[in-house]
Amino acid sequence: MFRLPSTARRAVAGAAVAAALALGAAACGGGATAQDTAVGNGSSFVSGSYGTTQYQPGSRPRAPKVTGTTLTGSRFSLSADRGSVVIMNFWGSWCTPCRAEAPVLAQLARTFSAPAVRFIGVDIRDDPASAEAFMRNFRIGYPSLNDPNDAVALDFSGTVPPAGIPTTLVIDRSGKVAARIIGPVSYNGLKALIKQVSAERT
Amino acid sequence: MTGLRTPPDTGPATPAGDDFAEPEAAAAIARKPGVRLGLMGWLRWGWRQLTSMRTALILLFLLAAGSIPGSLLPQEGSNPAAVSQYYTSHPVLAKVFGGLSLFNVFGAPWFAAIYLLLFASLLGCVLPRTLRLVGSARQPPPKAPRYLTKLPFSASYAAAAEPEAALQAAAALLFGKRFRVRTGPGWVSAEKGYLREVGNLLFHLALLGCLVSIGLGGLFGYKADRLLVTGTSFDNTITALDEFHPGRMVSPGDLQPFTVSLDRFSASYVTSGPLLGQPASFNAAIRYSDRPGGRTRPFSLSVNHPLVVDGVRVFLIGHGYAPTFRITDGAGRVVFSGADPFIPVETSGLTSEGAIKVPDAQPQQLGFIGVFLPTAVDAGGQLESRFPAPLNPVVSLVSYAGNLGMNSGPSQSVYTLDTSGLHRLPIAPRPLSVGQSMKLPNGLGTLTYTGYQQWVSLQITYDPGQLPALVSGIAVLAGLLLSFFVRRRRVFVRAEATESGETAVEVGGLTRSDAAGGFEDEFSSLVADISGQAATE
Repeated sequence: MFRLPSTARRAVAGAAVAAALALGAAACGGGATAQDTAVGNGSSFVSGSYGTTQYQPGSRPRAPKVTGTTLTGSRFSLSADRGSVVIMNFWGSWCTPCRAEAPVLAQLARTFSAPAVRFIGVDIRDDPASAEAFMRNFRIGYPSLNDPNDAVALDFSGTVPPAGIPTTLVIDRSGKVAARIIGPVSYNGLKALIKQVSAERT
Repeated sequence: MTGLRTPPDTGPATPAGDDFAEPEAAAAIARKPGVRLGLMGWLRWGWRQLTSMRTALILLFLLAAGSIPGSLLPQEGSNPAAVSQYYTSHPVLAKVFGGLSLFNVFGAPWFAAIYLLLFASLLGCVLPRTLRLVGSARQPPPKAPRYLTKLPFSASYAAAAEPEAALQAAAALLFGKRFRVRTGPGWVSAEKGYLREVGNLLFHLALLGCLVSIGLGGLFGYKADRLLVTGTSFDNTITALDEFHPGRMVSPGDLQPFTVSLDRFSASYVTSGPLLGQPASFNAAIRYSDRPGGRTRPFSLSVNHPLVVDGVRVFLIGHGYAPTFRITDGAGRVVFSGADPFIPVETSGLTSEGAIKVPDAQPQQLGFIGVFLPTAVDAGGQLESRFPAPLNPVVSLVSYAGNLGMNSGPSQSVYTLDTSGLHRLPIAPRPLSVGQSMKLPNGLGTLTYTGYQQWVSLQITYDPGQLPALVSGIAVLAGLLLSFFVRRRRVFVRAEATESGETAVEVGGLTRSDAAGGFEDEFSSLVADISGQAATE
């Protein structure tokens, strides 16, 4: 959950309206001309509160159908990875915590190898040139879906919506979400999760 | 809020007036001075204080006053960067403010206390009143008082008819005039204007409806912003939003899964006269679908003409330019190719500022601070934008290399550059026109200004309380008007046989004194009707 107190703000707005009425003040909404706007506070994305959510084998939400094109132009389908533990990481080259966690993911992707464990990135709101430079720089060995519109995140909105970026999902061999990590992953934390889910019998 | 409690009626003291008296007045009388209050007494006293009009007004004032620091000081919810900056620049003061939750006013315990008390106060005022009004609206007329001539309006006459017949005729007439009629031995009592109570009831219920609607919006609504560059699209999911302010009960999965793509943005400006450069119209040609993979529909979005999709309103609230660049690094690889939104800093020429960050350039990270001038004109050696349309779009950049601070640490704004780990490159900022390039010194790379796109900023609001609030608002007004314009009035008739063989008829009338006049006329015409009818029989 986010801790942005818009309830209060609405309450205030309501009270303010009421107060305006009480004072007999005509509150006319000035026609918003387009330039008047600031563009938010300038942070370009919503960062979720950090934390790991694990789902017990009996109560795991099924991952949706995810298909798309990778940054290198090949087709990807999540269902084709059934039988592998899939680590799905939502990232962007512009996102500071994503850059912070990138070496960890690159390292873990070398530690665990396909087909037992597969890594797939979902590059959101990025330009492909920057994304490719990122992958070269951090020596990311696994593919990433090119997702400028956040379509994959939307696919997950019914189950485990990524509540910010980075978000990392651990999907078990039967295609169900075993864990969700919001915020940068830690080497030991994610490694333990992968080991645990890999050790499960399905 | 002034209409919360209708002023207590100071109607004439009448024999039948006890149920005309305001319940508040009765409650006030019940509390005698000098009587020791027990625990229950104190609780009751506290509750009565809390639900009084005065307390509600004070709380309302406190709520307004309490939200002032929220607009004067940076808030954690909306601008965490400014808050941490405040801590750096005013460390002592910031600690005090932080301790008082002044950086998170709307989440502060004291603020919550104010609005919860206000809510309790309003609820405690409105609910019991509503119950009383239901009772009042269902009440039959009271018995006729003994001496009708003591009433504010009265008349008496002698009739030929038998008392019973006269009374029956009067009752039938009053019933025909849509009075609620009650009869007894030797009297008829009638009352009209119950709509006043209905109006009162409607007003109070609708007021509750308003509160609930505001609560609904606060709990289940959300508000978000998204900047969208021409030619791109987004899905309404949290990761795609620039800002997201959810209500308490909103979870990320609750967002309506629509998609919006921006095909084209056009703006027209006044081209002459004193209003030169003022915007004349904005229009964003978008396509949307209400679910992923659904049918897409075109829509023309303009200011104050929002897109409504799945109950969510999408407003066009801003626009600007996003110059496009292609940047190659020292290794000769393309490390950036795309649009970079710049933010307008003034309106007459839409001069815009922005930052370009290239964290994956080799051998060094690159950063640029830029100014975009839609219509660049040389004003005495200084370039400035004279018109908001892109007639001569020029960009001017200051180049940096080093550490952008993006590989660790807190999230950054994409619109500003943190130059603390960067050094400025020895290259004079030269205005670039579309297609021109700038070679960075020391073999760090090349930047080409390839063109520009326009962007729009969209505000996405979902407020499930909006419609109920409107309906409640209208109902509040309707109820108020009904209770203002409808008067409750009572008419009593007594008939007695006299020794002379005639029947003495007395008619008395009573109304609430606060309502506008006019009952006098109604009463006299009623008397005329009653006596006339009695006479004809």
